[in-house]
Amino acid sequence: MSTLRIRGGRVIDPTNAVNAVRDVGVRDGRIVDLHPQDKVDREIDASGCVVMAGGVDLHSHIGGGKVNLARMLLPEDHRLNRDPIPLPTNPLELASCGHCAPGTLATGYRYAEMGYTAAFEPAMLHANARHAHMEMGDVPILDHGAYVMLGSDELMLQMLSRNEDFQHIRDYVAWTIHAAKALGVKVVNPGGISAFKFNQRKLDVDEEHVHWHVTPRRIVHTLAKALHELGVPHPLHIHGSNLGVAGNIESTLATIDALEGLPAHLTHIQFHAYGTEGPKKFSSAAQRLAEVVNANPNVSLDVGQIMFGQTITASGDTMRQHANADLATPRKWIGADIECDAGCGVVPFRYREQSFVNALQWAIGLEIFLLVKDPWRVVLTTDHPNGGPFTSYPHLIRLLMDKSFRDEQFAKLHPDVAAQSLLPSITRELSLDEIAIMTRSGPARLLGLKDRGHLGSGAAADIAVYREDGNRETMFTAPDHVFKDGVEVASAGRILATPTGGTHFVEPAYDRGIEKRLARYSDESLAVHYRHAMIGHDELCRCSNGGRLLPAACFATGAN
Amino acid sequence: MATDSARPWTCPFCPLLCDGFALARDGGRYALQGSDCPRAAAALARFDDAAAAQARPQVDGKPVDLDAALAAAAALLAASRQPLIAGLGTDVDGARALYPLACATGAITDAAGGEAFLHGLRALQDRGAFTTTLAEVRNRADLIVCFGGTPREAQPEIWRRVGIGETLVAQREIVFVGAPTDPALDGLPGVTQGSIALAGDLFDTVSLLAARVAQRRIAVPPELDALAGRLRDARYAVLVWEAARLPAHGTLIVEALNQIVGDLNRHTRAALLPFGAGAGPATANQVYAWMSGLPLRSRPGPLGLEHEPLLYDAQALLAAGDVDALLWVASFGDETPRPERALPTVVLGGPGVVAPAQGVFIPVTTPGIGAPGHLFRTDGVVMLPLEPVREDGLPGVAQVARALAERIHASRRQAAA
Repeated sequence: MSTLRIRGGRVIDPTNAVNAVRDVGVRDGRIVDLHPQDKVDREIDASGCVVMAGGVDLHSHIGGGKVNLARMLLPEDHRLNRDPIPLPTNPLELASCGHCAPGTLATGYRYAEMGYTAAFEPAMLHANARHAHMEMGDVPILDHGAYVMLGSDELMLQMLSRNEDFQHIRDYVAWTIHAAKALGVKVVNPGGISAFKFNQRKLDVDEEHVHWHVTPRRIVHTLAKALHELGVPHPLHIHGSNLGVAGNIESTLATIDALEGLPAHLTHIQFHAYGTEGPKKFSSAAQRLAEVVNANPNVSLDVGQIMFGQTITASGDTMRQHANADLATPRKWIGADIECDAGCGVVPFRYREQSFVNALQWAIGLEIFLLVKDPWRVVLTTDHPNGGPFTSYPHLIRLLMDKSFRDEQFAKLHPDVAAQSLLPSITRELSLDEIAIMTRSGPARLLGLKDRGHLGSGAAADIAVYREDGNRETMFTAPDHVFKDGVEVASAGRILATPTGGTHFVEPAYDRGIEKRLARYSDESLAVHYRHAMIGHDELCRCSNGGRLLPAACFATGAN
Repeated sequence: MATDSARPWTCPFCPLLCDGFALARDGGRYALQGSDCPRAAAALARFDDAAAAQARPQVDGKPVDLDAALAAAAALLAASRQPLIAGLGTDVDGARALYPLACATGAITDAAGGEAFLHGLRALQDRGAFTTTLAEVRNRADLIVCFGGTPREAQPEIWRRVGIGETLVAQREIVFVGAPTDPALDGLPGVTQGSIALAGDLFDTVSLLAARVAQRRIAVPPELDALAGRLRDARYAVLVWEAARLPAHGTLIVEALNQIVGDLNRHTRAALLPFGAGAGPATANQVYAWMSGLPLRSRPGPLGLEHEPLLYDAQALLAAGDVDALLWVASFGDETPRPERALPTVVLGGPGVVAPAQGVFIPVTTPGIGAPGHLFRTDGVVMLPLEPVREDGLPGVAQVARALAERIHASRRQAAA
């Protein structure tokens, strides 16, 4: 039994409505109420510090096929100009490098140093699920999980086109979550990845897939309804139609409309909030989006803020990545059609302050953060690495908390952006409470992780202790202490321990009658034997490097 | 020994990882059922339960116990100024443990058929790629073009695995460039095949084809011109290349094929289906890339984490004497010949692998026979679990690599104290 007291810090714990100077107690990896007189094994003086739960990144491409392709495509991301990246001086770290496409080991180290203790891979293909779990298992320290992709798989489209019973589709969704050991479901360019395989180049929300004659509207609604009825805590994770296309605000709003009030999470929404106004026919639609989001409490979002500099975009959206491939910097890219399941596109990209489009994208992201009123429904992300690497979070936090700093950065942008952006007129500066909501409490709640993202009694002792600093970038870069399940894993930017993280997943109930149908389909159309479709608990444990299995409870629903 | 009824099995001996056949065990020997794949048969012929029970570690040709072999191997690697880890006949678990060992020793790691492996990697690093997977080929490909030969030679079950002759795609055409047609395709319903001679060598041929696919005005043999037209007319063309068939500088061929696919994808659909240099090295490459950020032909060296795709070529390093110790990993058996060099050598070998006269031999179990495991299929997307069919009591590559790294760290700590 080990005990710890973090004494005298300002505890910011929005889940429990706490913002006060108080102690935080830990016993055996869990938060406990300690009596001030209780003896503890270790006491940390946190006066002058802000104490928060460990950060939770609900949308970060940390592992799986396309991430590894990104690493292989960009060896230049893994050196310093002509020199190799120096080996770590810390004997606890194995050599691992990369800026926008870091190795899994570096990913774990760098997240933990920033005070994050969990990250979720948002685009796991069922066909690639074992690989994704392997990579996540090799991300040290962090807990992890993934959302399995559905909605461009040929079977779902076939079922919809044949108007099969909704219950069968719901069972198929639940089976897929089980099979891939996922925490949720993501739909990417609904139907569009498949449509591209049939040589279709564009798919609007109410346009039909050229082969299956199904619309994205139907796919989105069906999946959202299935997850809702299955009681999966994280609602449908939506990467909408027309990513990056000027005027895509219309398809984004149509997608929200397609939900008909069902809960859903709109991801990297910055890439989906573009109008067609102004001299360059490319404008911010952040305000229109924010109004609709403010009026639709069923919708949450993460931003996918872009950050200037070199990055690489890795997406399942083959249709849109192919369309963007000519913009690749450097000029190379990877695409793939995958197993009648989905696809992937990996395009390196450099966001430039002097590009009108990039500068406006930057401003649009910040506008969304600041115009959506309810911080519980906005998650801080850069869609790592698509908008920028996760290591830029401290900089992003400063932009959100510090109006004068924001103005300074804005002044460096392409001059035409000033006329097109609301940003200079927005005076809102996010508070520490709001940042805590957007970086841990909110995402943990959106994922249904009851014992994460907060510091209430019984919660996992994932804790970050940040030294107060007026410069919020400095403050959030390297917290004084980071604890994972009560073990100190990082201190002031140095890794102290590298435990293996756990895997979060859900196991919704379903009628196993569906399996006969799936086995037949697998035999007739796929290229992996059906007995290998499902990852069992033992295999998941092997894949994830022996980390703990953390099944999340589903909501009770009337449907089962 | 008992005769087992045949059980479902996943074959680890070629990059197709066929999982639809069964394995029968009779008298300690193994036979595939449902397929007469010669590659699987040849690999399985090496496995013999009685022989496995006799396998002993050796040091300089003399049998020793595992502990002594580990001690000798650790001492050999620790004494090396520049070790090389090669062969890489192993699975995910093995590669996961070899990388920390490379970190502990500063070793360079390269694949067995390093040069063939490089064709794909260099092309990927320079231009990228657009690839497809087996199920996509099965469901979509109406034109399959194979360069240099039929992929059936090295991957005997390929045509069945991608559904050639099934009704999913009513009509398919299969074209062999620079190679004769494949008799295995004769008479399959809905399948036509043809053969096109090289126009010059394979470099010339692929370049000319790329030029015509891009509709550049250039004189090419009529049959090549016709192929360019059929590629443009196909709904989903698949270009098949095999690393082992490409000549030196084969990267240029891969780049040209990728260019063809890129041009086609502007109007219709097309993709590459590559066959790399074996499931083990391909898997190790993936694992190294995700753990470290860099693929094979890398080392955690004194200056940092270095990736040198040309310099860190196992064959060249051995030939030039630029490495002074070799850790050769061949847990699937002796399919890849070990380079014969007189240098301190540690061999982690499956059945049929010969112990070095000088150095350490540690018999290891084979994923998919004596131990569970995971390998990547040829498309680099699908990773399949391997099911063991016997208990052989042998350690796995991962177990040995971890033990070696621990011993090396411990000896350093001792030396420092």
